[in-house]
Amino acid sequence: MQWLDALIQGILLGGMYAQYALGMTLMFGVMRIVNIAHGDLMILLALVGISGSAMFGVGPFLVIVLLIPIGALLGWALQKGILNRVIGGDELPSLIATFGLSVALQNLMQQIWSADSRSLPGGGLESASVNVAGVYIGVLPLLVLATAVGLTGGLDAMLRFSPFGRALRAASVDSEAAAITGVNPRAVYATATAAAVAILGIAAVFQSLRATVSPADGPAQLIYAFEAVIIGGMGSVWGSFLGAIVLGIAQAIGFRADPGWGILMGHLVFLLVLAGRPQGLMSRNR
Amino acid sequence: MRWMVELSCYLAVAQMWNLLAGYGGLVSVGQQAFIGIAGYALFILSIRFGINPFVGVALAVIAPALVAVPTYALLHRLDGPYFAIGTWVIAESFRLLTTNMDFVNGGAGLTLRAMTQFSAQERAIGMTSWSAALILITVGGSYWLLRSRYGLALAAMRDNAIAAESQGVNVKRLRFLIYVAAAAGTGLAGAVYYMAQLRISPVAAYSPKWASVCIFIVMVGGIGSIEGVLIGALIYFASDRLFGEYGTTYLIVLGIITLLVAIFARGGVWGVVSRYVGVSIFSTRRIFARGDA
Repeated sequence: MQWLDALIQGILLGGMYAQYALGMTLMFGVMRIVNIAHGDLMILLALVGISGSAMFGVGPFLVIVLLIPIGALLGWALQKGILNRVIGGDELPSLIATFGLSVALQNLMQQIWSADSRSLPGGGLESASVNVAGVYIGVLPLLVLATAVGLTGGLDAMLRFSPFGRALRAASVDSEAAAITGVNPRAVYATATAAAVAILGIAAVFQSLRATVSPADGPAQLIYAFEAVIIGGMGSVWGSFLGAIVLGIAQAIGFRADPGWGILMGHLVFLLVLAGRPQGLMSRNR
Repeated sequence: MRWMVELSCYLAVAQMWNLLAGYGGLVSVGQQAFIGIAGYALFILSIRFGINPFVGVALAVIAPALVAVPTYALLHRLDGPYFAIGTWVIAESFRLLTTNMDFVNGGAGLTLRAMTQFSAQERAIGMTSWSAALILITVGGSYWLLRSRYGLALAAMRDNAIAAESQGVNVKRLRFLIYVAAAAGTGLAGAVYYMAQLRISPVAAYSPKWASVCIFIVMVGGIGSIEGVLIGALIYFASDRLFGEYGTTYLIVLGIITLLVAIFARGGVWGVVSRYVGVSIFSTRRIFARGDA
């Protein structure tokens, strides 16, 4: 029973990681960029949400509605101001630029919000649970998982069927050829990054509801998102969802075995996948 | 004496990163793994096996080199930018592993008590010699490497890895060798640094701060050249002394400078200097690249 409980908690935790991982899959799949400030942007949005909620006295769902456009705007500005200047060929500049951004953001947040941990009051939502056959399942984690499934399905469908998705896939395969056929790669990139950071806005609200956030938390979230993407298979939207679930289960079971080993167990599973199936669980190529 | 050890460690760590990123095209944000491993190896050798720390430093370098072999075997499967975050996961794994090991006193860390058996003067001599050796091995070693037969291959790889491969450079093998050499060099710096600190803890030794030190020094100074690293290390060291007290503000500025350099001045300070000052300095830089191959 104890292990079944750990398994269920792991799947639910994986829902949270799936939300972080989506934005990363989108950005890497399209631009071959890894944004090292990915986790820090999520923390920034979470802190903005917490302060905004306290200032205007609005509930978590209104905060989501506010954070999505803020995230989209941030992503668009990030692409226009920084990433569009460093993409192409060499990966070094984009890595270094986002690394610098990450250091600056972390310290800026520490200056504004201090190093304290905060969380978003959910009005009882965070402690509500349902009893399913003897296992208590939190309502909030279920909501997180359901949102993750919805976002993953939505993103997958958008990439497959919408004109924007076609433009995006075209630009990622060959940006010059896409440009010839009338796709503006830079505009596509800006929209993709805006979408990626807007998804982080949703993740930020859930993260600050179910746990605490502090300015130094970003790198850990970046690493979880990254591990989910690699475990699942690079470039596959449902793959990164599956990877996030696997990572969540590994961590939850590790925590149950010994609290010090939870996160480490996640890293070990990641390394095992890298050793045994480097293309990821769901990747079709190779 | 303390500042001398610090400066030489920064210089060494940055030069090793320069070798990796500047020549090997391997961008790592996890070199702190090797700092921690070598630092801990030194402390364990002294505390558990009673080995003189000044001798232990030389032995401690073996550990990161050995760890680097399987690490690279796993990480080289990761594509481009994912490699960088992979190195970070490795460093985090070692941090957590160390924190969970009672053998090394877990998260509380270790103290190098053996150093009390030496007089202040003996310690000064030992530390000075090791700092000098550290620079000689990492910076001098890189210089020697770049002048050697491999120097030409490395320079070719820096400029264009695919073209170098087509000209018969074994890029895969060369990258592997660079990764292991950089792990050993970085480890040596870590061992010397924590020998001077007398204390080691997982949070400090495996801190991503080491990655930002490398990146700042190399990017601001000028990637792909030894002069750039020297300039960058001096800039970093001076600004750390002058503005370090401003804490977060100082780090925000460092982060933004790194960002701006990556966007607007990829050659760093040395890149700008060598462009404007002219051919004479540029050609000294080229001499070792031309080498004797």
